[in-house]
Amino acid sequence: MNDGSAESPILRARAINKTVPTAEGDLCILDDVDFEAAAGESVAVVGASGSGKTTMLGILAGLDLPSAGDVWLDGEEITALSEEQRARVRGRCIGFVFQTFQLIESLSALENVMLPSELRGDAAARDDALQFLTRVGLAERVTHYPRELSGGEQQRVAIARAFASRPKVLFADEPTGNLDTATGARVIDLLFDLNVESGATLVLVTHDAALADRCNRIVTLEAGRIAA
Amino acid sequence: MTPRMVLRLAVRDWRAGELRLLLAAVVVAVGTVTAIGLFVDRLREALLSESTTFLGADRVIGSTRPIPEDFRDAARRLGLAQTDVITFPSMLFADESTDARSQLVSVKAVGDRYPLRGVLRVAGEPFGPAGVTDAVPAPGEVWLDSRLFPALDLAVGDTVALGYARLEIARVLVGEPDRGGSVFDLGPRLLMHIDDVPETRVIQPGSRVGYRLLLAGDDGSLAELRAAIEPDLAPNYRWRGIADANPTIGEALDRAESFLLLGGLLAVLLAGVAVALGAHRYARRHYDHVGVLKTLGATPSDVQWGYLGILSVVGGAGVVTGLVLGGLVHQGIVAALAAYLPASLPLPSPRPLALGAVTGFVCLLAFALPPLLALRGVSPMRVIRRDVHAGAASQAFTYGSAAIGGLGLLVWYSGDVFLTLWALVGGVGVCGAFAVLALALLRGGRVVGMQAGSAWRLALAGLQRRYRENVAQITIFGIAIMLLLILLLIRTALLDEWRAQLPEDAPNHFVMNVADDEVEAVQALLATHTDYDGHLFPMIRGRVMSVNGEAAESWAETHRRGPDGPRLRSERNLTWSDTLPDNNVLVEGAWWPEGTDEALISLEDEYAARFGLGIGDELAFDIGGLPVTARVANTRRVEWDSLQPNFFLIFSGGALRDFATTHMTSFHLDAEAKPFLNRLLSEHPTITVIEVDEIIRQVRSIVGRVTQAIELVLGLVLGAGALVLVASIQASHEARLKEHALVRALGGTMRLIAGALTAEFAVLGAFAGVVAVVGAELTVTVLRSQVFELGYELHPWLWLAGPAIGAVLIALIGYLGTRKLVESPPVLVLREL
Repeated sequence: MNDGSAESPILRARAINKTVPTAEGDLCILDDVDFEAAAGESVAVVGASGSGKTTMLGILAGLDLPSAGDVWLDGEEITALSEEQRARVRGRCIGFVFQTFQLIESLSALENVMLPSELRGDAAARDDALQFLTRVGLAERVTHYPRELSGGEQQRVAIARAFASRPKVLFADEPTGNLDTATGARVIDLLFDLNVESGATLVLVTHDAALADRCNRIVTLEAGRIAA
Repeated sequence: MTPRMVLRLAVRDWRAGELRLLLAAVVVAVGTVTAIGLFVDRLREALLSESTTFLGADRVIGSTRPIPEDFRDAARRLGLAQTDVITFPSMLFADESTDARSQLVSVKAVGDRYPLRGVLRVAGEPFGPAGVTDAVPAPGEVWLDSRLFPALDLAVGDTVALGYARLEIARVLVGEPDRGGSVFDLGPRLLMHIDDVPETRVIQPGSRVGYRLLLAGDDGSLAELRAAIEPDLAPNYRWRGIADANPTIGEALDRAESFLLLGGLLAVLLAGVAVALGAHRYARRHYDHVGVLKTLGATPSDVQWGYLGILSVVGGAGVVTGLVLGGLVHQGIVAALAAYLPASLPLPSPRPLALGAVTGFVCLLAFALPPLLALRGVSPMRVIRRDVHAGAASQAFTYGSAAIGGLGLLVWYSGDVFLTLWALVGGVGVCGAFAVLALALLRGGRVVGMQAGSAWRLALAGLQRRYRENVAQITIFGIAIMLLLILLLIRTALLDEWRAQLPEDAPNHFVMNVADDEVEAVQALLATHTDYDGHLFPMIRGRVMSVNGEAAESWAETHRRGPDGPRLRSERNLTWSDTLPDNNVLVEGAWWPEGTDEALISLEDEYAARFGLGIGDELAFDIGGLPVTARVANTRRVEWDSLQPNFFLIFSGGALRDFATTHMTSFHLDAEAKPFLNRLLSEHPTITVIEVDEIIRQVRSIVGRVTQAIELVLGLVLGAGALVLVASIQASHEARLKEHALVRALGGTMRLIAGALTAEFAVLGAFAGVVAVVGAELTVTVLRSQVFELGYELHPWLWLAGPAIGAVLIALIGYLGTRKLVESPPVLVLREL
């Protein structure tokens, strides 16, 4: 389903609930959360540990399903899709940058960056990947494996991989959480620069207030609800 | 995922060492089955060709009448090789003088192509070293048995008279392939050319002559010939195949083949366990990998087909490598056993290769598929939340698939569903019993561990904490070690059995026809020149005339069990004795008192059973025209394989003491001592010496070959067992290391960790050893009594060796497998896990 409106947000979630069963009964992680992000907008999601940030990110990105509510991404209701269909949407529209980099150890930097395009069956995967690795300053390290790269370098490979798939929405989960301050700052600069260049929507989950301040908008979660 | 990508991921995983264990397990499974298959295939070929040598041909048509020309024509049309053999008894004279020494000989006249299968063995001098020849006596020549030379005072080059023919002795005949029948029924052999037969004028109407047409060729043509001449065969012509030839070696070989396949199956099942462990570990290490792929857009189908693709690549590579390895191992065996095998072995059939390839894929599908298919269900949320359940394969699917695959292979190899079901029941039972025992050992270990030093306490605490995994591991290790112990013990049992049946110094010569007045002299000669120290058995021929007053024929008609075999009234060798012979065991009744005057008889138990005879029955005999009646006093079991003189019927002295008998016995003579026979026979020309050392040599060579094959299988099973150990240790070492890295971060020394890990593996190994010994003792006891018909025997050394082997082996493999990570800084270990 596509509502076809030009003003409509690229990402929209309505009345999202997430409960998980525990030994003591159901535990509510997200409680009636609404969320919207316009095309090209950058939104920071902040909140204390356990406030539901990561769960919300997973649901918005189609990695997980809410217990109730619906999520629309690029005009498609992803909560109504099967895992098979959601995976295709992810491959087509979404990029990720994770706190723990999540590079595949057995693939070189170049192969890691090529992966999303290859999964889509793009013929030009290699050229695109080389271009983005050059853009993140790793043109000399393309044949290196993740374990041969520093944390900052690994995160730059992850950023190159995220943008190489030309996503409409980029989700970043604590992208500096595993990096020292100086390296983290350089990585964030790169992330924002590329985001502006690509025109993608950025949804950034972070603890870091300074980092959140660089986004267009801040959404605060408190105990599973959006704070006023 | 595209095939190229799958291939690249497989190559990457291979380079990263992720697939090596899986591949190694497949290679071992395929290699083992292929090597055993190829070897058994060729062994069977070799044995088949060896059995045909008992006939001297592939098939034989035999008769007391000349072979019709029609048969020959038919064989010729079908392209079969053929040659004629004529046998008849005749008197051989040392020369033509009237007082010349003479002896009844068994003449065999052969054509130029004789024998079609097997070889003739000849020597240059009587009882001299034998060699192989592909010639036959030329017309005008004869080849004689060694024993004829001293008996007739002859030498090679002399001329002898056979009927009207005068023939020159060209060589000494040592062995012919189709000697056949009972060696005791034959006179010494004279081999001559078939073209000389008419000149002898020995064959007259009514002569006892045997005609044989020897045939060789492919099975199809032979079957066609048989079909063509079938109507003309009965009742005068007999068609003989390999099955009719001497089948005594057959049983041992059947048993050996079952053993080889059983061993092969164990290796495959062990390799299957290694495949399962390797695949589970591979899958576990790919949960995050799959999570990442899914966030990047890989669909569950992409993941499923991608990993199936990787599995196919591994399977393909493993099968090809395994086939090559199996081929090489089999070549190695053939080379090692070249001395035993025929010079030109036929090429093996493609079946063993198919067997190996199918085994490899079945192994992979049954053991590796469930964990890899489960990767499809890994949630992409794992990428951001490690606590998300990975969606491992359901246990029912995992074990069900392994059971179906394993059983499928079992049924396929054994061709026996009933046996397979028993194996299933046994397998489940063993696993359950092992798990209970393992749990008891772990609980007990923890209690003891509370009092132990820190490394041991840490180790035992760790074992108890992860008791589920450890019970499973002890069970797996236990089964692997148990299988090795079983194989080792069975191998010993088999070898013991064969050695016991055929010891090095088993008698290999028989001396017969020793007259009463020669007994002392012959006994003295034997005692001086051989290891013989027994006594000579009196021997006399006689036949049963009636049982309890009823004529033997009518008794046999109503009491006989089983259709085949000699008749009750057949003439037999009889003896008498005051004592029970050494290798005989009384089954029923009592042995008679020494020197008894009562006419009593002792029956071999199977003979008694066959003719429905029992204690108290009265048997009337005709011995040399005189009637003798004796009452059955006992039955006894005879070891026919012992090569000692054995008798179905033994009388008490009271029955036969007064009859004039000849005497016989058996003794052992080494090849180099054989010239002694010249002296024995020239001093006692009327006695008969029969050499069975040739037959024994043949049996020995087969036993040797089978033994080597069994050792090979044992080696392969050991290899597969080691793989399971490595796989099992790898599968659990990450969890162990994470815990130990934490201990190190909290101040534990590297030495403490290394000690604790080694101790943990050693305890695990020792427990597995205990479990294995219990299982092995029980299994081997059952096998010994039910399959090999050997007695019960406990192995005390096993109770020490089993746990010790388990502890050392697993501690060593565990230590080597974890050393690198123990030595790396804890922060690295923690980060990597």
